[in-house]
Amino acid sequence: MLDTQAIALSLQLAFWTLIILIPFGIWIAYLLAQAGPWKSWAEAALALPLVLPPTVLGYYFIVTFAGKSLFGEPLVFSFTGLLIASIIVNLPFAIQPIQRAYEAIPAEIREAAKVSGLSTWQRFRLIELPLAWRGIVSGAAMTFAHTLGEFGVVLMVGGAIPGETKTASIAIYDKVQSFDTAGAGTLSLILLVISLIAMAISYGIFGKSHGGTRRA
Amino acid sequence: MGEHGVLKVEIQQTVPNPLSIKLEVEAGELHALVGPSGSGKTSILRSIAGLHKPESGLIECANHAWFNRDPMRGPILNLKANQRSCGFLFQQYALFPHLSALDNVCIALYTKGIGPQERRLQAQEWLDQLNIGELSERLPKQLSGGQQQRVALARALARSPHVLLLDEPFSAIDIPTRQRLYQTLASLRKQLNIPIILVTHDLREANLLADRITVIDQGVGLQTAAPQTLFTKPRNARVAQLVGMPNLFHGVFNCGTLSWGSSPWVFQINDKGKIPPDSQVAWVIPQEGLSVHRDLANHRIPCQVRHISTLGQIALIEFSIENVDEALTWEASAAEVKRLQLEKDARVFLELETKRIHIMPLRPINDPRRFMSALTSASLE
Repeated sequence: MLDTQAIALSLQLAFWTLIILIPFGIWIAYLLAQAGPWKSWAEAALALPLVLPPTVLGYYFIVTFAGKSLFGEPLVFSFTGLLIASIIVNLPFAIQPIQRAYEAIPAEIREAAKVSGLSTWQRFRLIELPLAWRGIVSGAAMTFAHTLGEFGVVLMVGGAIPGETKTASIAIYDKVQSFDTAGAGTLSLILLVISLIAMAISYGIFGKSHGGTRRA
Repeated sequence: MGEHGVLKVEIQQTVPNPLSIKLEVEAGELHALVGPSGSGKTSILRSIAGLHKPESGLIECANHAWFNRDPMRGPILNLKANQRSCGFLFQQYALFPHLSALDNVCIALYTKGIGPQERRLQAQEWLDQLNIGELSERLPKQLSGGQQQRVALARALARSPHVLLLDEPFSAIDIPTRQRLYQTLASLRKQLNIPIILVTHDLREANLLADRITVIDQGVGLQTAAPQTLFTKPRNARVAQLVGMPNLFHGVFNCGTLSWGSSPWVFQINDKGKIPPDSQVAWVIPQEGLSVHRDLANHRIPCQVRHISTLGQIALIEFSIENVDEALTWEASAAEVKRLQLEKDARVFLELETKRIHIMPLRPINDPRRFMSALTSASLE
């Protein structure tokens, strides 16, 4: 039988991660794109989720979140806790493509915007954001796909509570453990198709009309 | 176009590259900054626009200070680029690639406090005036270099700036298109009546467009003068070299007598007594001061044709003179070459009109600061 509850939960988690992480990621990436003495350290810290094993991240989440709650929701073994963990784990996937897109905007374009009288906020809104939009779409798609595929941290922080923290990737694991190969196969195929679409978006099926990576 | 006035610029800095410059540009004046690459021309322009912060100095336009680091001369301030009223033209146009030509110009009107309809109307007027009105919906990548620079010019002017700054704006544009842009600029400047600064390494361009030229070398302004003065009376040997004067020679000047290298030739020169006796000097003579003859006469110098290069109807002839290191170059028509029967190794006689000889102090090598003081004390004009 198809575990629609797990699929729905995975999509829900991916959706909320996106909604919260992307505006935040746009801001962080914008700050990182400006050179600063702290830049390398900040980049290194944000890249940690790429290299640390999920057990290490999961351990720190549990230690930090245990016994704490947000808006009355406990943070361990709950959807809210899972969402916070998912946002942190996804930081590099969201930020790096957006940061690259900002960095690809030639310095002269920014300067032209300054001498055209635009304030920092106007430059961001009218020039830099539109020029970086392909990076933003790419970061969003990566985040979405990666959230669907996340396993280790979800297992550590969320457990496997059906309807609350049992995402599709955990459900597949459970099914394989209980010899439900057919159920695991269906879920796997669904995840595979959704992820393929997300990655295709990330790699730029939107065409290359006027992206931020273009030279002026 | 709002209030107009003089642009005053004084900039000093030691790092990252030394700069020491003082400029005053009148409303309606086109002032060219010329010099070799890396001489600091662009840094000066960027400092005026607020894209670079020099160590010290004062920048003011129409009596409004934009930058000041000297508490004795008013409050310390450094306005941001978007608070200064500058139109800036970049070498590579720097148009916003995601916006149409019209929207590129509209952006510059964004902070003018007018509605979107009015912005589009004014932007279209600027594009029309620059003869690219029909291209308003195109993206920058669909425009040629010359058309892009016209859009950039419209964008720079749309804000009614108090100063127009041009950073080598024609160097990336092919020559026929460049000629038309020169004409556009020449006709616009009358109407604008604001100070315009053009940075260029092309002296011909500066000569063609500018009212005055400042020659810059290693961050120091060597001479500011009208093009004609600059080409006939360079202030020192380095200026003569930078403006590409062909006949630049060395000699010793002693109380009205100029001796040429180690040759026996001397010239009697009227000077204002500013050059100390027995000074090493550089001197130049313009083409109009030279004549070539077949026969010997008083004050004529024997010489030998070293090389002739013919360019269409014009020939450049190099003469060598005994005991003079540098060759002398003479520009003649093909007819004259024929009349004088000039050919390689031919022996002829040169006459130099002494009153056209211009003598200058030598520039101490690699020390612009010491040179500055030498400059002020040894002006020959």
